[in-house]
Formats: sequence, C-alpha cells, structure tokens
Amino acid sequence: MKYQSQAVAKPYFIAAIGLFVGQIVFGLIMGLQYVVGDFLFPAIPFNVARMVHTNLLIVWLLFGFMGAAYYLIPEESERELYSPKLAMLMFWIFLIAGALTILGYLFVPYAKLAEMTGNDLLATMGREFLEQPLPTKVGIVIVALAMLFNLSMTVLRGRKTAINLVMLLGLWGLAIFFLFSFYNPANLVKDKFYWWWVVHLWVEGVWELIMGAMLAFVLIKVTGVDREVIEKWLYVIIAMALITGLIGMGHHYYWIGTPSYWQWWGSVFSALEPIPFFMMTLFAFNMVNRRRREHPNKAAVLWALGTGVMAFLGAGVWGFLHTLAPVNFYTHGSQITAAHGHMAFYGAYVMVVITMISYTMPLMRGRAANSKTAQVVEMWSFWLMTVAMVFITLFLTAAGVLQIWLQRIAAEPMGFMAAQDQVALFYWMREISGLVFFVGLVLYITSFFIKGKEAPAG
Amino acid sequence: MSSAFTKSAARNIFYGGSVFFFLLLVGLTYDTMHTLPKHDNSANLTESVKRGKHIWETRNCIGCHTLLGEGAYFAPELGNVYIRRGPDFIKAWIKAQPTGAPGRRQMPNFNLSEEQLDDLVSFLKYASEINTSKWPPNIEG
Amino acid sequence: MWFFIFAELLVFGIFFLAYAFARARNVELFNASQLQLDRLSGAINTALLVTSSYFVVRAVERIHHGAARACAYWLAAAMACGGAFLLLKLGELGAKMEADISMSTNTFFMFYIGLGFFHFMHVVLGMVILGAVALKAWRGGYSAAEHTGVETGASYWHMVDLVWIVLFPLIYVLR
Repeated sequence: MKYQSQAVAKPYFIAAIGLFVGQIVFGLIMGLQYVVGDFLFPAIPFNVARMVHTNLLIVWLLFGFMGAAYYLIPEESERELYSPKLAMLMFWIFLIAGALTILGYLFVPYAKLAEMTGNDLLATMGREFLEQPLPTKVGIVIVALAMLFNLSMTVLRGRKTAINLVMLLGLWGLAIFFLFSFYNPANLVKDKFYWWWVVHLWVEGVWELIMGAMLAFVLIKVTGVDREVIEKWLYVIIAMALITGLIGMGHHYYWIGTPSYWQWWGSVFSALEPIPFFMMTLFAFNMVNRRRREHPNKAAVLWALGTGVMAFLGAGVWGFLHTLAPVNFYTHGSQITAAHGHMAFYGAYVMVVITMISYTMPLMRGRAANSKTAQVVEMWSFWLMTVAMVFITLFLTAAGVLQIWLQRIAAEPMGFMAAQDQVALFYWMREISGLVFFVGLVLYITSFFIKGKEAPAG
Repeated sequence: MSSAFTKSAARNIFYGGSVFFFLLLVGLTYDTMHTLPKHDNSANLTESVKRGKHIWETRNCIGCHTLLGEGAYFAPELGNVYIRRGPDFIKAWIKAQPTGAPGRRQMPNFNLSEEQLDDLVSFLKYASEINTSKWPPNIEG
Repeated sequence: MWFFIFAELLVFGIFFLAYAFARARNVELFNASQLQLDRLSGAINTALLVTSSYFVVRAVERIHHGAARACAYWLAAAMACGGAFLLLKLGELGAKMEADISMSTNTFFMFYIGLGFFHFMHVVLGMVILGAVALKAWRGGYSAAEHTGVETGASYWHMVDLVWIVLFPLIYVLR
C-alpha cells in the first residue's frame, strides 16, 4: 500500500463480504422454498427473501466497487485521496441506509413500507431490483455523488492513467444511469423500457468498464507486464463491450410491447456480446503467461484467471444461449434466465470484486501476501464456490429446458405449477450445490484469520 | 496486437465507438417512443389501471411472478392471466390466499378491498392487451 | 485497427445475411416494397461514394510523396462527396417519413431504414475521421515517412464505401 488513504477501502471490503454472506443465506432460503413451498411462511415470504437476496447482491457489489475505487484511484493517480474523511462518512451512511432498508423489507409489510417512505409522492418501488424505498434511492445517489466528487478531485490533481479514467467513467455512468430508476411512468411498456436503462446499462454496460479497470489494475500488479500493453487491451475490451452492449439492450425489447424491429437489432448486436468477454479471458491468461515476476499472492492470480473464464462462460456463453429472438421466444422468463443470471453475476462481478479484495487485503494488513496456508484455504474456497456455481447453473439450465418443454412446447402444455413439480429434482440438486457454495464462502472467510509465515510487504 | 496499433488508437476507438453507438441507441429510442402508441395499449390507460399498477408495485408482486416475462420465476406469468383465468377467478384467487396446503408454495393475503381488486384486475386486463409480438408461446405463459 | 474494420464488416455481414433470410421468407412483400424506393438517388449516391474513395486513394498517394497540403485537399474533396451523399440520403429518408413509412411498416422497411440509418451514421463518423486526418495533414502532422493515420482513416472510409456497394444492389436493385 503506497498511500495511507487507500486504507479506507478496508471497511468497504469487510462490509461487502458481510453482506455477501447475508445474500447467500437468503439464497439458500429461497432455494428451499422452491421445493418446500411453505418453508418460513408467513414470516419470510418468497418475494421478501428474493428482494433481500438481490438487493444485498447489488449493495455488496457496490461496496466492492467503491472499495476498489478508493484503493486503486489514489495509487493510479499517485497521490492521497482528496478526502478520506468524506469516504468514511459515506461508508457509514451507505451501510446504515442499506441495513435499514433490509430490516425494513424483513419486518415491515412492503405496502406499509412504501407508504411510510413517501412512495405516494414519487412512486419508484416494487419494480424488480429497484425495490428500494425512495430515501434509500436518494441515499444511493448522494453516496455515489460524494464518492465521485472525492475520486474526481483525486484524479484531476494527480496522474491520469487509462485505468483510473476508465474506472471513473464507469462509476459516473453507474450514477447517471441509476437516475432512470426515478422514472416510473404508468405506461407499463415505457416503465419496462427505461427500467432496462438502469439494469442493462449497468450490468452489460458501465459495470464492464469498472470490471475491466479492476482486472487491469490487478493484472499490472501481479504480472508486471508493461502498462502500455495492459491499457491497450483494456481499451479494446471495453470498446467492444459498449459497441455490442448498447444496442445489445435490444434483447430485452423483444416481448414487452416495443416495436418488433428490436428483434433484429437485439439479436445481431447481442450475438456479438460474448466477444468482449472472450477477449477478457484471453487478456487474463495472456498477461499471466507473459508475467515478468512471480507475485507471492497466488490466490489473487487464481481469482483473476477465474474471473476471465467464468465471466465468459456465464455472461458470454450462457447469455448467447438464449439471446437470439427465435430462441428467446421460448426461454424468456424461464429458469434459463435464472441460470444465466447466477453464473454471469458470479463470474463477472462477484469474482472481480474478490480478485480485488484478494490482492489488496494482505497489502492493507501490512504484507505482500498471506501465508501459504491461508492461500491454500482461499484457493479451496475458490474451487468450491466456482464449481458449486457451475452446478447451480447446470441444474437451473436443466430445470429451465424441462420447464420450457412441458409448459411451452409439449402438445398438451402443462400449467406453471404442474411443470414446476416435474422439475423439483433439479431444484433439490441446485439447493445442495448452494450448500456447497456456502461451505466455500465460510472457508473463504476463514482464510482471513489463518496465520502463518507471511511474505513481507514489498 | 501489432505495434502499429497504439494505445491512443485503442482509446479513440473506445470513445468514438461508445459515442457512436449511444447516439444510435438514442435514435432507436426516439423511433420507439414515436411508434409505441401502436403497441403499448396506452389508449386504455385509465385511472383504474394506474391505481392497479400502484397496487401491483406496492405489494411487490414482481418478487414471485413474472409480468411479460420479467420478474421472479417462482410463480406464474401474469401478463396474460386475465385471458387465462378471467376477472372473477383472479379476484377469488387473491382473496383465498394463502392456501395453507402443506409443502406447497404460498402467496400472502394482502387484504385488498373490493375496489382495489377491481383496479388490479383492470391493470392486468390492460397488460394482457399490450402487443407483445405474440409472446408467450401459449396460454400457460 | 483491422480488427475493428473486420468487426464492422461482421456486423454488416450479419445484417445482410439476416436480410437475405427475411427476404427468402417473404419475397413478394420485399419486391413490392422495393418498388417504392428511389433508385436514382441510390445510384447517384453509389457514384458519389465510389468517387470519394478514389479521392481518398489520391490523398494517400500524395502523402506518400510528402505532399501534405495536396493530401488535405483530396481528403476535403472526398468529404464533399460524403456530404452530398448525406444530403441525398436525408432527402430519401425524409420522403419516406412523409409517406408515413417507418421501421415498423414492414420487415423490408425495417431493413431499408434501419440499415440505411446505421450506414448513414458510419458515413458521418467516416467524415469526422477524414476531417481529423485532413486537419492534421494540413498542419503538417504527416510526412512521407510517417502517415499511418492517413492510411487508417482511408481504410475506414473504404470500408464504409464497400458496405454501401453491397448494400445498394442488395436492397435497392436485387429482385
């Protein structure tokens, strides 16, 4: 760690991991509710569990991105953070707002929560992933703007590199596109149309900038490959991401009441969306093969390579699987979407945040890398979580294919619940894979507390 | 990548490409907004439908169901439920929840008034009349 | 750079294939709709772009001899052709709009207007690139020894031209 103020990243990362645990616990609850329908009902109905599961994911990834930004931007800019105090203040505001929101979901009926938080003044709640009460949404905007001010001032006064500019651009985009969450017209089609301007332009747009910058940063550090080379790759990858991803948004506009020409535009461009992810895989492996140093932090290198592979599989391959309009006609709104969502979020965003944590945490704790034993445990957690996620995806895909066949293609189509009963076996296997994932996560956390002979800070 | 291809060339492609495709997206969005009234059934967007959408949102229906294929995949698609089940069934069903059948998926009771139920039904009716390019493939959603 | 030119050609290539596929499934509609196009305007535009490509070739040839000013003039001439192309194309699209034809009218017009507009934006981008190159050439930024930028800009412009040369017969003429 070169600058004192980089240490503000630490609480952000700790909070991220803590919320990650919560996310997985609620994921397991939902997984069980899929097969034991009345599990925890009426205390935690499925919709509440799902809201907590997805919102925790978003919030902890945001914590991860923010922590990553507070760490890498001072280092890239070669100066201290403009205001570490502001960064800490925002940390507490975001954590408390996030915690209150989750508690609100769990303990207040949603309709009551909406009433209490001014949803009648400006109705923004009750849309997938954007369920947060108005004050939370405003809070997210405030926290994001304060962070952007803080980071922009740091970059403006310091060195400008491709990595910190791309990171900053990604975060600005994140804040700007979130503003569409405040637009909720009564016209359902328009509502859905602009809802995707948050959701799609985040995960298949500006988040890829953030991800690329984080990956490039870690790769420079652990491989020692020339910055010029890595930054060139970074630009090419994110260029492809936006070139394909912006119009690729059309793959969400096939069946929601939008003009049918989107079927053409969406199919053509989203068919190309795997390209940037494939390049990311090549990028990670290429750089590691051309490494000029043996970094003692093997675990971080493993996470970086894993990100490349899993992002390509989850976002690229599983995305392509159902992105063409004639295929999507049958798969839209089925478990196939869930399969893709799980592996894409894990492979791209969860893993890149963990890569960053894995690389920076030892440095913030005063050593170049954790002890061998700790790293071995961390690598075990990598394999357990990653393999478990592969199986979750495979089982959900199987469930999805069967569901589509029974409910949408068969000569005598089954009703929704009848079809669900038929695929229950796959849901059970998904739940077991989920438990393995949880074991991996526990192991991951354990790895932080394992002592041993550590590599000295370099 | 060859040495003739410099970092600044890559940067220019990124900025140029992003602006280019964002403008294309804005162009397509403009055309979509222009064409939308032919597809989106907004002619039938009554006050009752608007109230119904508000109920739909504040009861977090999307947390279990899908609507035009978007949402959770835990409970049936409701974009076409008005056609599949009809208004009376929908109201009776909502009032009868939860079923309490052991081991089965449960839907909470939201204690909706008769008027609120009518609003919700008119919202679902409006949703079922949106031109979705013939999706879903069949009535089961 | 070639990677991106190939990527662009790939996108257009996929669209052309999609067009062929859609046309094969509905030949009559496509033929009937095709009659509504202004083929003369399309032909003039083809001539304009081919001419502009020739001018760009001249510009590259000039910079090989170190004649930066002449290079800039040729590029300006190419841009003038591009500008004329844009005006004619705007006229065509405007006429369609007045006839109340849009991308949603039918699949043929979805391709005609969609691809036309997509290509239109490429011409605009190509002109911006040529303009930047011409300006740099005028200021003496290129020489007989170092002129990668001119060649890159020229390659991009040829790509835009090439796409049109496929697009015009495919959508306007082929029956």
